[in-house]
Amino acid sequence: MKRLFISISDGKGFDILLVGLAMFFLLALAGIPLLYNVLMSFQEVDMFTLGSFIRPWAGLDNYRYIFAQPEFWLVMKNTALFVFCSMAGQFVLGFGLAIFFQQNFWGASTIRGLFLVSWVMPGLVVGGIWSFILAGDYGVLNAILEGLGIIDEPVFWKSDPDLAIWAVIIANIWLGLAFNMLLLSVGLAAIPRDLYEAAELDGATAWQRFRTITLPMMRSTIGAVLALGLIGTLQQFDLFPAMTEGGPANTSSVTQYWAWQMSFKQYDFARGATISMLMLVFVFMAAIVYVRSTRGEVRG
Amino acid sequence: MRPVKHTYLWLLAAFVFSVIYLFPLYWMYITAIKSPSEIFASPPTFWPNDPDLSIYPDVWEAREVPRYMWNSLVIAFGATGLTVVFGTGCAYVLARYRNIWVDVGLFLVLMLQVLPASVMVTPLFVGFNQIGLLGWPRTAVVLGVAAKSMPFFVVLVRAAFMTIPRELEEAGLVDGNSRIGAFIWIVLPMARNAILVCALLIFMQAFGEYIYSASIIQDQKLAPASVGLKTFLGPNSKDWNAIMAYSAMYVTPILAIFILLQRRIVAGLTAGALK
Repeated sequence: MKRLFISISDGKGFDILLVGLAMFFLLALAGIPLLYNVLMSFQEVDMFTLGSFIRPWAGLDNYRYIFAQPEFWLVMKNTALFVFCSMAGQFVLGFGLAIFFQQNFWGASTIRGLFLVSWVMPGLVVGGIWSFILAGDYGVLNAILEGLGIIDEPVFWKSDPDLAIWAVIIANIWLGLAFNMLLLSVGLAAIPRDLYEAAELDGATAWQRFRTITLPMMRSTIGAVLALGLIGTLQQFDLFPAMTEGGPANTSSVTQYWAWQMSFKQYDFARGATISMLMLVFVFMAAIVYVRSTRGEVRG
Repeated sequence: MRPVKHTYLWLLAAFVFSVIYLFPLYWMYITAIKSPSEIFASPPTFWPNDPDLSIYPDVWEAREVPRYMWNSLVIAFGATGLTVVFGTGCAYVLARYRNIWVDVGLFLVLMLQVLPASVMVTPLFVGFNQIGLLGWPRTAVVLGVAAKSMPFFVVLVRAAFMTIPRELEEAGLVDGNSRIGAFIWIVLPMARNAILVCALLIFMQAFGEYIYSASIIQDQKLAPASVGLKTFLGPNSKDWNAIMAYSAMYVTPILAIFILLQRRIVAGLTAGALK
């Protein structure tokens, strides 16, 4: 007993205790629930079996049910569109702004820091603000676009089935852009200045310098930022309840929102778990890219 | 690096970009003080004809903002506290050694970091229901949010511990400190700022948390401000000046803290996220 106490206060036991507490906590509240989710996707869960661990085995029935849903392909298509366009928008605009703020002018880093306010705002509030900006009849975006002569009549961003998902994409690009910019700025700052100066002396144009110095030097940063963008977009949930609730007629629903609806609107937890399983496949693919690209950094 | 030519032109461009980017925030504050009819004016007014601040006390009262905000604070403090208490020690050990077990631990932490809350909420809800934790819904949400944010915290704080020289701790051990003593009196004070900044980030995220609270907390009296906002925000909402006033009261404290501590937050965030 005394030896155990000494080990905890002054030896290996101390390290094991510190890591063990955190790992136990994560195991109980993330690891086990994850496995439980896998289990539930193969079970029949209804109001009568909700409270017991032993439930009728459903095999692949839940998966068959989900694949047979009329909205299945629509939701998959929306998810692909949402993920790809959000990532592309966040990355391209974020990269552009990161290069812009990399120029050495007075106030650059302070103004860049202000952009990050979007990142600390609650997703639900961001969704609410954009929902109002994108309103059809009285939305300010339509007014601005009409004023500039880009459109002739109001665009019904949220209620037009072809555009509803785009409304959420626009809000999500705004939300994630600043974080992308920050991470890319850190990567840009790490490129040695003399490379650019040497290239300039040799007469390389700005585009040539970007293509032959910036892009190759930023490869690992870009990989990590894209992986984080994919993860962040698949984690994005709050904008959907705030803006469209997946409507009209599921045209702006994505897997994460569909899974939640299945569990907490229809109380069909097994099918909710099944949809999340489909999503996890993509999440883990992104995770592998992310872990690989940050391993060198994180290990230090 | 040598300064660019025409600094003021760059500054002007930066100013234009930030005005465009921060316009949604301006729109939130300005809509809140417009009259209900002016909100639906077409074309919209960019400055209210008749600014009316009385919307704030009205919404504060009618939408029970104090109670919702209090619940948000309880959840945010609880989740941040748990994350810091469990996460700091874990980050310290993962920074102190380099062996196969540390690699395995880091890999697990990074993998857990990517799990979406929308995936975890179903098994957490069913599991909490089975062990009877739904009777304490705020505690249940605190546990879920802490588990969600801990990997992120561990990765960031570990980066801070890596920068503290081992020799300092070893000197402390030679001077007669125990491992606990050296950790508390030497290592922790040196990493204090980084820990505080990361805790603040976790706090701000937990303060805006929505999905766990919306799914787990059934009683509106225990629900946080995000759930309170959702009671009158949706695809068909019309009450825009009240929504914006509520939003403004919700986010202004977070924005104020962020702007005050911007430099430190950005530095803490970039140290661990990426080099």
